[in-house]
Amino acid sequence: MPNYCTVVLPTALKLYPPIVSLDCRCQVFYSLQFPLNLNFRLRRGSRNQKVSQLKAGFWESIRSGILKNNTTQVIEPPTTTEEEEDPLSEEFVLVERTLPDDTVEKIIFSSGGNVDVYDLQALCDKVGWPRRPLTKLAAALRNSYMVATLHSVKKSAGEEGNDQKKLIGMARATSDHAFNATIWDVIVDPSYQGQGLGRALIEKLIRALLQRDIGNISLFADSKVVEFYQNLGFEPDPEGIKGMFWYPKY
Amino acid sequence: MAVATAVHGCYFPSKINSLSLPLKITGQIKQSSPPPPIFISTNPAHVNLHHLKDLYTLCNHSCHRFPNVDHTGKVEAVDVGKLRTAIFHSSIVVTVFTKPEFVTGHSSPVEVTNLMGIGGDWIKRVMPVTPDDGLLVGFGRAVSDFGLTASIYDVMVFPALQGRGIGRMIVQKIVRMLTNRDIYDIAALCSGKERLFFRACGFGDDILGSTTMMYTRNSSYSIDEKTISVGRKQLLVPLQETS
Repeated sequence: MPNYCTVVLPTALKLYPPIVSLDCRCQVFYSLQFPLNLNFRLRRGSRNQKVSQLKAGFWESIRSGILKNNTTQVIEPPTTTEEEEDPLSEEFVLVERTLPDDTVEKIIFSSGGNVDVYDLQALCDKVGWPRRPLTKLAAALRNSYMVATLHSVKKSAGEEGNDQKKLIGMARATSDHAFNATIWDVIVDPSYQGQGLGRALIEKLIRALLQRDIGNISLFADSKVVEFYQNLGFEPDPEGIKGMFWYPKY
Repeated sequence: MAVATAVHGCYFPSKINSLSLPLKITGQIKQSSPPPPIFISTNPAHVNLHHLKDLYTLCNHSCHRFPNVDHTGKVEAVDVGKLRTAIFHSSIVVTVFTKPEFVTGHSSPVEVTNLMGIGGDWIKRVMPVTPDDGLLVGFGRAVSDFGLTASIYDVMVFPALQGRGIGRMIVQKIVRMLTNRDIYDIAALCSGKERLFFRACGFGDDILGSTTMMYTRNSSYSIDEKTISVGRKQLLVPLQETS
């Protein structure tokens, strides 16, 4: 009898951590996937934590020691990071109203970045966006410069401690903290659209960015929402500047 | 690819590298010469801020999209403090170094010292470039959220060495690093001249047909308006909402 011995090799060894909420920092995941990339500096929770120090690579320190001509300059992290941290995460009530069934609804704006990835995925489904992997979504939120969210909190009259909190809007921006920022993923629940909530989200983002002297604020708008952004002060293709995207060629 | 062309001594657009058209930044139909021996680094520790600031000035590149341009056509100098912050927070930083003799001129005087002996300056030619003794001639950086998207900014090459494939190497390095992290949504904002360059690097218009927009509002015609000056634009800061 021939002895078939098959060896199954994992073709794509991608180690995804168990899907948890954003509180888990997933540091292990990154160190497993990029073990040799000493240049890669994980920026964890830039909103509420200090930025991690830059570490020169192991071989770099050996080489600069041997060469004795030590002119390697390590980029010092910027000295103060406090002024970005506090104003960046704010939370306040944007709108408060009473619904016909006597429940009080508050719409709360928050820029602290507390987004449940599952809630966000559900919101994207509602709007009709294509699904994206949850781990990528979580990583993108974690590493964005600013994530602004809108939650609706409903308190029904007569019942205590029975709040319904629902994610109804989000916008996020990536930035290099100095010159450029791009706004991605602006989304508002369809049943809450048309009330100026999206406008409030974007204006907050712009305000926060401009106050930190970040002047190149760009975004890539679908044809249906170009007018929405024009009303907010965005100009399409200003002075011939266009965005180009990479296409893999095989 | 760079090694192969250096060995052959000239640049063949071979069928194997079907996407490597000769990089025609100048627009002339000529065979571009291969790049000089260079050292590409992705280590942010190799960035010398003062050399980088000089490179920005030499390439007449500004970090602001709408820079102040003086009467000679030169843009304002880049703020070193902000540049340091920008590089510190950039996800990918690529720097290109080459030997000084390739920048200053090809006829470098042959130094005959007692130690050289028979080899002459053969030893100096063969020694590889290192970031410590090389000149900074190219730079590029990208900002990413390490999940879904990335944007490439500030790709520049020393003017005398442009048109030889260095810029494309920088972009390909950045793209390779991003695709290794599973990020395929890579954007680059570019003006008219840069568009040709990025097209040659494999970039194109968005397949989803999105419009690039930038915030340029400068006035609300109301009394209590606050503006921030960014290059030559005065951008209006939206008012604080009070509910």
